[in-house]
Amino acid sequence: MDIKDLKSLVKIITDTDITEFEMENAEEKIVIKRGPDKEYVQFSAPTAIAAPAPVAAPAPAPSAAAAPVVVDDKYETINSPIVGSFYRKPSPEAPAFVEVGAIVEAGQAVCLVEAMKLFNEIEAEFKCKIIEILKEDAAPVEFGEPLFKVERL
Amino acid sequence: MMKPAPRETILSLFSQTPDGFVSGELISAELGISRTAVWKHIRNLRQAGYRIEAIPSRGYQLLQSPDILMPEAIQAGLACRRIGGQVRCFETTDSTNLQACRLGDEGAPEGLVVIADRQSSGKGRMGRHWESPGGVNLYASILLRPPIPPFEAPRLTFLSAVAVCRAINRCTGLQPTVKWPNDVLLNGAKVAGLLNEMSSETDRVHYVVLGIGVNLNMRQEQFPAELRYPATSLALASGQPVSRLEFTRVLLRETDILYLRYLEEGSPPILAAWTELCDLVGKLVHADCNQLQIEGTMIGLAEDGALLVRTATGKIESVYAGDVRPA
Repeated sequence: MDIKDLKSLVKIITDTDITEFEMENAEEKIVIKRGPDKEYVQFSAPTAIAAPAPVAAPAPAPSAAAAPVVVDDKYETINSPIVGSFYRKPSPEAPAFVEVGAIVEAGQAVCLVEAMKLFNEIEAEFKCKIIEILKEDAAPVEFGEPLFKVERL
Repeated sequence: MMKPAPRETILSLFSQTPDGFVSGELISAELGISRTAVWKHIRNLRQAGYRIEAIPSRGYQLLQSPDILMPEAIQAGLACRRIGGQVRCFETTDSTNLQACRLGDEGAPEGLVVIADRQSSGKGRMGRHWESPGGVNLYASILLRPPIPPFEAPRLTFLSAVAVCRAINRCTGLQPTVKWPNDVLLNGAKVAGLLNEMSSETDRVHYVVLGIGVNLNMRQEQFPAELRYPATSLALASGQPVSRLEFTRVLLRETDILYLRYLEEGSPPILAAWTELCDLVGKLVHADCNQLQIEGTMIGLAEDGALLVRTATGKIESVYAGDVRPA
């Protein structure tokens, strides 16, 4: 199913009272769930036809593209260029720069690191997907310490 | 260096004249323009608030400059080597730091200064608001492109703190103190706030923006009721209004001197100057570092600028971010 069809499908379902929708055929499986103020779409290829990649555990969460399972050491990290405090949000009330699963463009800010009132917006140096956030908000970080585990796209 | 604007040339001629008079003939020769064009520039300066008198056979006399912040007036005869080659002044902007970062992203040169008469969303630490009314204070951001690795950049924080203290002392005679890492206080009340931002790669600094807010002529009723710290202005503390233009020029010169020294000798002289201005050395302090509360005696700065605190157990803790107050 291409993105246009998927969009129409979401639209059709949103116009009804349906809160959960599931569809499966030979090539793909689509699950749409709706809550009171959020909706999300999960779109994955069934494992039955996944490329017979050398399976490594743990498997990443299903992603939009039926990418072969990536072994852990293929992930890269975004590291802190300075010693300081790690902040996931530009200000305490603001939403976080990124969440797990977000696709980030090269040059996009992913967090702040503050040292002595110098605020450094850390940017992704390449397009990637955020796999794991390795530090708690407001945690102290060392020079060169990994902040995010990412998958280069 | 860009060719100075006609206004800047005229203002610098006024500043160089021994008897206060500058002839129309001299201006027209300096600028290579007609006497009528000179008269138009004088008229524009008058409209901008300069009091200029024309006396037959003697020339023009500058009686009073308005206390508005304009590039020509700031740059005229400034004699800085690195800072102030480009000055951008805004009547209102969201935040001079945001403007400077935008211009930095677009490739603006080192030394760019962004100044606003008022800020609509002046920034403090952690998204806090910096009260920025028009006409009374200085809100400035200075763009630097130091050839240093990113991990050294936080030390520049101390540079602007020392520069602000020196400018305050020169303009008012008052003796400010610093609070780690870079608040400036007069009798324990905050008079300036500094907030720096950096754009970098892992091993290279693109630019650092030194954000500097100084309360110059702010009146008591202009301070918001709820402030985290007591605050003051130079005028409140000294009982006299301060020329914003003069303060700005002095501050840019002091920053320029310190920055040149930093480029030549690194951070030790800057950190030493800062330590001399700090009245908490040897005293009991409390550091609120988000997840961690540290209490102990402040023993000074580490060579990377971290605050060193000796706790009750004798352990020396390094503080890199947080609020530090007397315990």
